[in-house]
Amino acid sequence: MNKWFKSGTPWIWMTGGAVSISLIMVVGLFLLIGWRGLSFFWPATVYEFDMVDKQGNHMNVIGEIYDSETVPKQQLIEAGISGLENKGDTLERFLIKVGNREYVDLDFQWILETTIKGKKIPDDIVVLERTKNGNFYGYIKEILENGKTLTLSQDELEIQFKTRLSMTQALKDKETDLLKGEIGRINFDLEKIRLAKRKVNLDGELSAQKIAQFAEQSQRLRDEYLVLEKQLFEYRTQAQRDSVVITDMTGRDVTMPIASVLDFYLPNKMTFIEKVLHWFHQTGKFVSDDPREANTEGGVFPAIFGTVFMVMLMAVIVTPFGVIAAIYLHEYAPKNTFTKFIRIAVINLAGVPSIVYGVFGLGFFVYIVGGSIDQLLYPEALPSPTFGSPGVLWSALTLAILTLPVVIVSTEEGLSRIPISLREGSLALGATKSETLWRIIVPMASPAIMTGLILAVARAAGEVAPLMLVGVVKMAPTLPVDGNFPYLHLERKFMHLGFHIYDVGFQSPNVEAARPLVYATSFLLVTVIIGLNLTAIAIRNNLREKYRALEH
Amino acid sequence: MITLPNSTIEADVLNNLSAEETAVEVKNLDLYYGDKQALFDVSMKIPKGKVTAFIGPSGCGKSTLLRSINRMNDLVDICRIEGKIELKGQNIYDKSVDVASLRRRVGMVFQRPNPFPKSIYENVVYGLRLQGIKDRRTLDEAAELALRSAALWDEVKDRLHDNAFGLSGGQQQRLVIARAIAIDPEVLLLDEPTSALDPISTLTIEELITKLKKKFTVVIVTHNMQQAARVSDQTAFMYMGKLIEYSDTNTLFTAPEMKQTEDYITGRYG
Repeated sequence: MNKWFKSGTPWIWMTGGAVSISLIMVVGLFLLIGWRGLSFFWPATVYEFDMVDKQGNHMNVIGEIYDSETVPKQQLIEAGISGLENKGDTLERFLIKVGNREYVDLDFQWILETTIKGKKIPDDIVVLERTKNGNFYGYIKEILENGKTLTLSQDELEIQFKTRLSMTQALKDKETDLLKGEIGRINFDLEKIRLAKRKVNLDGELSAQKIAQFAEQSQRLRDEYLVLEKQLFEYRTQAQRDSVVITDMTGRDVTMPIASVLDFYLPNKMTFIEKVLHWFHQTGKFVSDDPREANTEGGVFPAIFGTVFMVMLMAVIVTPFGVIAAIYLHEYAPKNTFTKFIRIAVINLAGVPSIVYGVFGLGFFVYIVGGSIDQLLYPEALPSPTFGSPGVLWSALTLAILTLPVVIVSTEEGLSRIPISLREGSLALGATKSETLWRIIVPMASPAIMTGLILAVARAAGEVAPLMLVGVVKMAPTLPVDGNFPYLHLERKFMHLGFHIYDVGFQSPNVEAARPLVYATSFLLVTVIIGLNLTAIAIRNNLREKYRALEH
Repeated sequence: MITLPNSTIEADVLNNLSAEETAVEVKNLDLYYGDKQALFDVSMKIPKGKVTAFIGPSGCGKSTLLRSINRMNDLVDICRIEGKIELKGQNIYDKSVDVASLRRRVGMVFQRPNPFPKSIYENVVYGLRLQGIKDRRTLDEAAELALRSAALWDEVKDRLHDNAFGLSGGQQQRLVIARAIAIDPEVLLLDEPTSALDPISTLTIEELITKLKKKFTVVIVTHNMQQAARVSDQTAFMYMGKLIEYSDTNTLFTAPEMKQTEDYITGRYG
């Protein structure tokens, strides 16, 4: 035994064990959120339950089994449920997603196994995704065109529903294009004219001629708008033509315009392949769509875009600052106590809680810097702030300060790893110190700079707390990049995956509906961070290969 | 303190070099690293177009003396110098001297090959680019000339744009020499240029040194006495920061004046 200890074997087992535990935790976390999040997009079987309540009334319930748990019998008896005498010690309880939010009290219901008398899987059950009030479950009864019923068989109903749905969707797409494109531009231009007029007025140069000029410009835009508006309303009326009648679980016929339906599918009829395709389709929509209904439905595209955009902006800001600071500290600063003190201060900055940076960002960037910019450059828009309110630029700057220490430290490390012989070689050829720096040292330190950037990105992409103060919002109407000049709108607020998780998970009115979205968004956030990191790592490895240090 | 045998004609020649024949003159040089004195009152004249070798045991100050000639010691913060080193009659430690342009005139090659992480071509033209030369043809011609002079052209002419790290150690060292001579210096300082190389590469470099003296004044520091005997025209023996003996190579190795020199070259210490 003593010999076994001396051989070092236990030490190897211990270290190996520590690594395995870390690995299992990382993989486990990833699998858990991945599974919980992604299985949400799988078309679950929809059951029709025959249930009996306490009074003995039969009741039809259509829904997906969302979750299940085992409950001890004692607990149920204490809760006043009778008729459990001949059951086992524990009973199963199901969470059923019933949907049809506007017609039922609870769209998620806990149902005890004893109340279920029968369970069917009817082929014709249809699941509708709607613009409002979540999913709807039922049977397609008929299709109305301009309020008149079309005579169709069951199969024809499905086909007609599909074609009419895609027609309506096409109309709605046109409508959105018009709204976001042309009409959006006209609004933007009108606002610009208003601001231009105000500016001229503030400068005291507003003459009758100029007023007429501005009025003429806005009138032209308004005329343009009226034409487009007509077009818009036409699209809307056309989209309202068709309706569908669905029989819900209580036997009630519900008529809804096809325009309020986003998608429908018949999960019980689907083959496995169809389900897989549907899963990809749903996942794709989650990644590419805008959120709906207070973020509890729909996709997260603006949040993905906001996260990536803000992180990239942060990287663009932090890299030059960090590198220049590190070069000064390492190359030019005298090696004395004061420099040491500065270095320690920089390292300690990394330990400041991030919310403190948020407060600083709000106080300094938003109010002082942003406020001054507004005074100087956008006086015509006041009192409504342009840069003087939280926005993506201030978020990126705040996170840049937060991650600055990481970049400085790793750049310095990279600089000190470069062999002195290369510096001497360059100096001996008549290079000055700065020429040596920019031609030899900094390119060779670039892999280390990239390492710093990787760490910075990893930290920044996961940071939420400071962003809540300096620019993140629950719902941003526009992306920070669009087709209106100057295309980049750094003063705009943005959405962020991290904040989205918090918002959906903790601020949402419907906890059960939000839960899978929290997992899916978390999974997406991790994927985005890993993606950003892998890109940076690929660039670094490329640079490393290029500037492979002397091998001796 | 220079001790030269009075009987030898070459020794007199070394002692009484005219200004035109002198490439570098060291005058009463004292050098300190902080409180520690590393060179004691060194004076010598290094003749133009010849190979001068510095030999001596480790830590004797020969590399320090060599690095003083192109002010590489400036990089050491605690280094302090008294005395003069004159290049063409001008003191290189004068305040008016621009260090970068001094180093352009006095090139240096180090112990270990230190190519930059660039292509072979970019390594050779590095010094020229620093001088602001951008013309492609001028650079191409200079690169070829330098690589030919460094006896490397034939080996690398087909892969000029490959990374310099792909070369062998000996080739890298010749590349570094090519890089140094591409900017056409007056004096070339070699600090133990073969100590990291195998015997065959060493031989190539030694042959190269003999060729180089036609165009440049070469000063070489070496641990290897045979090498000093083979390549140099005159040799300086240093010990404990002092210049013990300085004379033409034949004399120094066959009839050393000083006891310490004789002990060293016969291998009794060092």
